[in-house]
Amino acid sequence: MKFTIIAETNGDLLHQTTYQLIGAISNIGSKSTVICPNGKGSSEASKIKGVEKIISVNGDCFDLFDGSAWASAINSVCEGTVIISASPNGREIGSIIAAKRNIPIIQDVTGISPGITVTRPIYSGKATETLEISGESVITLRPNAFENADIGNEAPISVVDQTSDLRVAIIEAINKASERLDVTEADIIISGGRGMGSVDNFSHLESIADSLDAAVGASRAVVDEWGMPHRMQVGQTGKTVSPSLYIAVGISGAIQHLAGMRSSKYIVAINKDPDAPIFTIADYGIVASWEEALPILKSELMKL
Amino acid sequence: MGYEALDFYEVDSLLSDEERMVRDMVRDWVDEEVIPKIENACREGVFPDEWRVALGEMGVLGAPLKGYECPGLSYTAYGVICRELERGDSGLRSFASVQGSLAMYPIWDFGSEEQKNYYLPKMASGEWIGCFGLTEPDYGSNPGDMITKAEEVGDNYILNGAKMWITNGTIADLAIVWAKLDGVIRGFIVEKNDPGFSAPEMKGKHSLKASVTSELVFQDCKIPKNRILPGVKGLRGPFSCLNNARFGISWGAVGAAQACFHSAKDYAMSRIQFDHPIASYQLVQNKLSWMLREITKAQLLAYHLGQKKDSGDWIPEHISLAKMNNVDIALEIARVARDIHGANGILDEYPVMRHMANLESVKTYEGTHDIHNLILGRYITGIQSFTRGI
Amino acid sequence: MNIAVLLKQVPDTTAKINVSNGKVDENSVSKWSMSPYDEYALESGLQMKEATGGVLIAIACGPERNKKMLTDAAAVGADTLIHISVDGILDSIQVQNFLAAVIKNNEVDVVLCGKQAADTNAGSTGPGVAEILDAACVTMVSEVSFIENKFISVRPSISGTEKVSTNGLSVFTFDKGVSELRRPNVRGIMMAKKKVIETIKPENLGLEGSDSERVLLKAQNSPPEKEPGQIFEGVGEIPTIISKLRNEANVI
Repeated sequence: MKFTIIAETNGDLLHQTTYQLIGAISNIGSKSTVICPNGKGSSEASKIKGVEKIISVNGDCFDLFDGSAWASAINSVCEGTVIISASPNGREIGSIIAAKRNIPIIQDVTGISPGITVTRPIYSGKATETLEISGESVITLRPNAFENADIGNEAPISVVDQTSDLRVAIIEAINKASERLDVTEADIIISGGRGMGSVDNFSHLESIADSLDAAVGASRAVVDEWGMPHRMQVGQTGKTVSPSLYIAVGISGAIQHLAGMRSSKYIVAINKDPDAPIFTIADYGIVASWEEALPILKSELMKL
Repeated sequence: MGYEALDFYEVDSLLSDEERMVRDMVRDWVDEEVIPKIENACREGVFPDEWRVALGEMGVLGAPLKGYECPGLSYTAYGVICRELERGDSGLRSFASVQGSLAMYPIWDFGSEEQKNYYLPKMASGEWIGCFGLTEPDYGSNPGDMITKAEEVGDNYILNGAKMWITNGTIADLAIVWAKLDGVIRGFIVEKNDPGFSAPEMKGKHSLKASVTSELVFQDCKIPKNRILPGVKGLRGPFSCLNNARFGISWGAVGAAQACFHSAKDYAMSRIQFDHPIASYQLVQNKLSWMLREITKAQLLAYHLGQKKDSGDWIPEHISLAKMNNVDIALEIARVARDIHGANGILDEYPVMRHMANLESVKTYEGTHDIHNLILGRYITGIQSFTRGI
Repeated sequence: MNIAVLLKQVPDTTAKINVSNGKVDENSVSKWSMSPYDEYALESGLQMKEATGGVLIAIACGPERNKKMLTDAAAVGADTLIHISVDGILDSIQVQNFLAAVIKNNEVDVVLCGKQAADTNAGSTGPGVAEILDAACVTMVSEVSFIENKFISVRPSISGTEKVSTNGLSVFTFDKGVSELRRPNVRGIMMAKKKVIETIKPENLGLEGSDSERVLLKAQNSPPEKEPGQIFEGVGEIPTIISKLRNEANVI
């Protein structure tokens, strides 16, 4: 079985995910051809173990994102099973390549084994499914679900020039000030409670929220007593949320609060009281004051 | 963790597609626009005006009435609407009951063509709110002895008297007022700006706090002659309105009971005492199982009554039974739910104590529990026991 | 203008998912709903219909229960309802071919759908259908309008958002839109119940409608049990926690 991996890039470098795509295919005992759109990251990719060859596909069409133009240019050199990141752009390019080749696409895969058999979460993680694929397909892999491949290779790089027509024109770029996400929409929520001491200290939560693209929530106590907006309130009389990650800071965890967030996928609690009920449902509990914990949390997140 | 209405016997599967769609529409609206705002409305003691607008936009006011830009739904659909509204709050359902069954219905059934064309479209859209003046300070269960009266003077009627416990009174654009004209009970349409009419709000309720309750005061209130409802004389007028409202209440109470069950079950499943959820203890299971049993029976009563109402094969006593039973069990379920919630049950984080307090009113209004008993007693024996003596 | 909106019916996002005998038990799903992003596509389609005086064609592919969702769409204003009736376990390209064939038969000018559906969260349908139709495709848009013979849409960019234009047949996949979703009303519901749903089988389109031969469903399972929580004294373990959240939980 041949595998073609479409590299995900970050500026002129490879995105971490590309290492994971290559690692995932190496782990099932196959070598892969890596396509670098517009040549970006090609020399970096050639050094990754498990890569057989690199194809740089160059062309004007990569100047702006038009999934269909990108897919047309890339598809011309794709062979076998196509692997791409389940990032928004990856999903779109992958879908178009699959349609061009009249083959199925399986998105957001978190496990892959020879055969090919893949697993993926469905219903927002409420279940998983295992699929057996016969023949060629496009598979998108969830970022961070696979180990990075190691360095130590010298794969040959070839260059292909492609033109394809852009169908999408940008007519206006709108820079927008970072707008706070709503708690019901965010994938990550960081919430504060009475333990934050005062409303002003919520700025510390906001700065962490900015780096995580998270929403800021609040317990009922601070909404009622400090006049924070009701839309931030998580709990029985506030919003019921189920993000991937819920970070509760200075929230003791009254049953009413737990009712609104217990279905979060992962819960991290920071509270100086080791007996706070929030720890009973936390995946990770940190017994410390927010003053001690938040700076370290922030600097660790910045390293990612 | 959305709201999943308890429907053990899948009674709702008997609804038509249209009735189910109406149910979902109202249920979603209650989830999104009522539940998040109800506690605040109760604290402030107001009926949010946006609810009036939304009910009009959804087109559910006067649900079973046909023509004159009214919805033209089945009585069963009307029941479903009441149930979903009362799952939010009895005060909200009261608003809809009064508008549809007590204010729009008498115009629709007993009004002149001119009255129907003028009032009903505005009321169906929610632009105009109606109220219903029957009960008086001294005449509650015994409305026949009312003292409010109307006199014919030239081209007008002059009304004198007072009504009490009038839902929507202060916010109403018009009142359907029952008063004696030459000793005979007649219906009159009084508009809010008619001279000699006022509708002060009654304050200090521990129940139905998100609903406006008022007095209606008539001091030589002068209305044009074309405001009398030509089509009915005597108690039959107000009683036919009440039959429809009571029908809606028999469904509405199920909604309040379902809300209390839902909250009690959720709470019992997540509340840990002695290392286990309290739902794992037999005493709590007994309570939950009893709630399920009573709600299921109440649903079947309401549904079957809906079918009878839609086929026209019903008598007022059928409605009395359902109103009496369903409100009775809903109130008891609210009390038991409050108990399951422990101390938390008294907080407005949970809906149970609000429903409990509301249902105390619902048990009393539109024919008290005991009066419905007497109606059924008279039905069984043929002997009326409302009054003593001859 | 003929506006096609592709709708997918999924278990309501609040519904419990039960697995039994290696398969999600669809009968136990308490409520089936229109996938949330599709609702924004529908709302945008209704606005475009009102602005251009067009016709909104709602298309769903799936089992019989999809008819209810189509009727719901009619209750808010969809004009034509098309149900592609399939029961099998289909792969992405099968579904896309069915949808594309129906779109072709209806002389559609623009296609709107959600950026992904709340069951597999895949996001394949819009771009795939666009490719089969040889249409332009813009994903994750928040609004679309038709101005001077061009479709102008807004999509996210690295620095915020950007307005992009496309010509001719275009497919837009919706993220959360900027408009409030409209509610149905009784009048809409009564009209909707009279609407006829056109049912099409894959055979009518000259396509194969049986289970995918290329993607076989082996099993569906409940998600792995979470490990019991770990509580750490002090802040020393924060780096470990962050690394677990990133590398094991994949949530940051």
